[in-house]
Amino acid sequence: MSIPHLDNAVLVTLQAVMEGEYPLLLDTFLADSEERLRLLRQAFQAGEGETLRRAAHSFKGSCSNLGAAALADLCCQLETLAREQRLVEAPAMIERIEREFAIVGILFRAERQRYG
Amino acid sequence: MTITSQPSADGRELTIAISGRFDFNAHQAFRDAYQRQDVTPERYVVDLQGATYLDSSALGMLLLLRDHAGGDEADVRLLNCNADVRKILSVSNFEQLFVIA
Amino acid sequence: MRLTILIAEDSPVDRMLLSTIIARQGHHVLTAGDGLEAVALYERERPQLVLMDALMPLMDGFEAARRIKSLAGDELVPIIFLTSLSENQALVRCLEAGGDDFIVKPYNPVILEAKIKAMHRLRRLQATVVEQRDLIARRNQQLLDEQRAAKAIFDKVAHAGCLGAPNIRYRQSPRALFNGDLLLAAQSPTGQMFVLLGDFTGHGLPAAIGAMPLAETFYGMTAKGYAAKDILRELNAKLKQILPVEMFCCATLLDINLTQGVLNVWNGGLPDGYLIRPDGERVALVSRHLPLGVLAPGAFDAHFESHPLKLGDRLLLLSDGVVESSNARDELFGEQRLLAVLDANHDAKRLFDEIEEALLAFHGQLRDDLSLVEVDLSEKMAALQLPLSFGAPKEGRPADWSGRFELRAASLRAGNPLPLLLQVLLQVHQLRPRAGAVYAVLVELYSNALEHGVLGLDSALKRDAAGFARYYEARSERLAALVDGYIRLELDIQCDAAGGRLRIGIQDSGAGFDVERALGEARGVECLRGRGLQLIRQLSDGFAWQADGRGLSVEFRWSAQA
Repeated sequence: MSIPHLDNAVLVTLQAVMEGEYPLLLDTFLADSEERLRLLRQAFQAGEGETLRRAAHSFKGSCSNLGAAALADLCCQLETLAREQRLVEAPAMIERIEREFAIVGILFRAERQRYG
Repeated sequence: MTITSQPSADGRELTIAISGRFDFNAHQAFRDAYQRQDVTPERYVVDLQGATYLDSSALGMLLLLRDHAGGDEADVRLLNCNADVRKILSVSNFEQLFVIA
Repeated sequence: MRLTILIAEDSPVDRMLLSTIIARQGHHVLTAGDGLEAVALYERERPQLVLMDALMPLMDGFEAARRIKSLAGDELVPIIFLTSLSENQALVRCLEAGGDDFIVKPYNPVILEAKIKAMHRLRRLQATVVEQRDLIARRNQQLLDEQRAAKAIFDKVAHAGCLGAPNIRYRQSPRALFNGDLLLAAQSPTGQMFVLLGDFTGHGLPAAIGAMPLAETFYGMTAKGYAAKDILRELNAKLKQILPVEMFCCATLLDINLTQGVLNVWNGGLPDGYLIRPDGERVALVSRHLPLGVLAPGAFDAHFESHPLKLGDRLLLLSDGVVESSNARDELFGEQRLLAVLDANHDAKRLFDEIEEALLAFHGQLRDDLSLVEVDLSEKMAALQLPLSFGAPKEGRPADWSGRFELRAASLRAGNPLPLLLQVLLQVHQLRPRAGAVYAVLVELYSNALEHGVLGLDSALKRDAAGFARYYEARSERLAALVDGYIRLELDIQCDAAGGRLRIGIQDSGAGFDVERALGEARGVECLRGRGLQLIRQLSDGFAWQADGRGLSVEFRWSAQA
């Protein structure tokens, strides 16, 4: 079974915890993630393996908190590549991350609609 | 350090056996041994066979036992004393108060 | 329970999420976006708990954790690391940096709440431990201060003695009082010296408290001229009365009488003391009695052993801390080693040093839990300045009185009336400067009348050590068996414008003796007796006798103060 785009259990918990601020959380995630993606590309282009690893690690964290399981997993893989200095494989992984984020973005915006 | 107390069959004699160091730490256990509620002995025997060491607090505890057992009327014997224990008892002249064997 | 919790997390999403979760649990939330900010915020607000992200810009979570722990000092500030559960390495780093726990993403509010509660309990535990530690430290300091005060009070009582006399050398630790060791020395009006070495069971304040009445009694009674036996009985009675059953005091009392050439010793419970002759011969002073404070006054045995004593003899007493002390290898110093030092000694003056050196060599350091005293009888002990009792009138008043009493068998057995008489005579102000001589004369007259007169003892017996012991044994026996017999004492004081005089008259029921011959004899049977009479003659201002020797009288005269 493949990893889901969004872990529903996590979302339900987030809703319960955040209550009225749930939409704000989603917005913050989406905005913050754009920035993180930019940093990933920048780090790769500069050839900075360590910076790339850290950026991937951080992004993994917030994805995981928001239940974006598949995205978190891809970040984890990128983190491993960077740690093992396999930078040549990085572009392909970054592209997959971008595609997954596009999907997650759509799903979160739909989710956001439900909450007005 | 272990202290055991054993009344005789007729309950008139209580034997307290001490092994290990007979020092200040034995205070409570020794007291418990002779303050048993279930017997009222006329005679006491303190078996020092296993006692490796005796200090002045031990001498004090023996005095307490003697006091509990009737003071000048008390019948308290100290048995199986090794050479060191005997020496300590002898310097303090405790044979004037206890029967030492 | 509302805590102030610091969240250090650089991801805005995570920060927002965490803050909300924590705030909803009822806590006050502080947030920081990097390590530097976290440390600054901690210093300012002093939150009770920190949730720390490991990876942050400017300063990472590990360094921030180290600094915060250092700022916290004794206080426990739990730090829970926020981490993606990946490798063990990361977790180890968290713990090494001072982290107390970690929580993984995605954050689970239930687990978070449980961990916060657990950490809070730990925090309270730590606070209790610190508080109790401080309390214990304060109490301990208080105890030490009290002990210092007790020692200061005790020293005031103890300084009445003559431990500072030039012929006494001693080693005693400053903490000796609280180890239970007691060393007292005092000179009697007659010139006798009493030395008491005591070792109380237990230590600390209880041991020190027992020492106080002991010292007070010892010094008080010695100054008043009481005999060693009387003092000892009183010491035992006092201790028996005030100490609990299980406490007692092992002691040796030395009654050193160079004038009469006798050492009387009583040892109850202490290791052997030693009388060492100039030729190296040693007499062991062995414990023959139960320690002080054990027996009731009726059962107490104040019997002293007697040994002849001469100029040049030395006396050595030690507490059991000497022989019983053990070194780092758990070996006992032991009696054999001590005797070896005594055997090896050639120069008597070095004996004390040699013992100290042997102890130092054995232990490798100075021990402070033993007492050692040496009395050197190579010079005459200095005459005593008798302290004035309180409330004494400043000027002498003229006195004119006489008193007579007769002591018969029962009273002769009961004890020594002389201290009481001395107190009476000390009321005559002009006699005070000569109190020593007056008392010495009284003692000579009395013991002469009792021992040679009433009891009929022959002082020729005191020629040698064995005879000595026999003499004193015979004295005890005859005194115990005495039925008839008396000593009559007469005191007569007269004053006039020119001055005054004290006349002491004494008569006994004995057979009498030839006084003239006794005074004249240079050696032989009467020599020892004659020495006593010579002394009386030397010390007094007039000496007269009945021809048959059964009555003697002595005068002390003084002139009016200018």
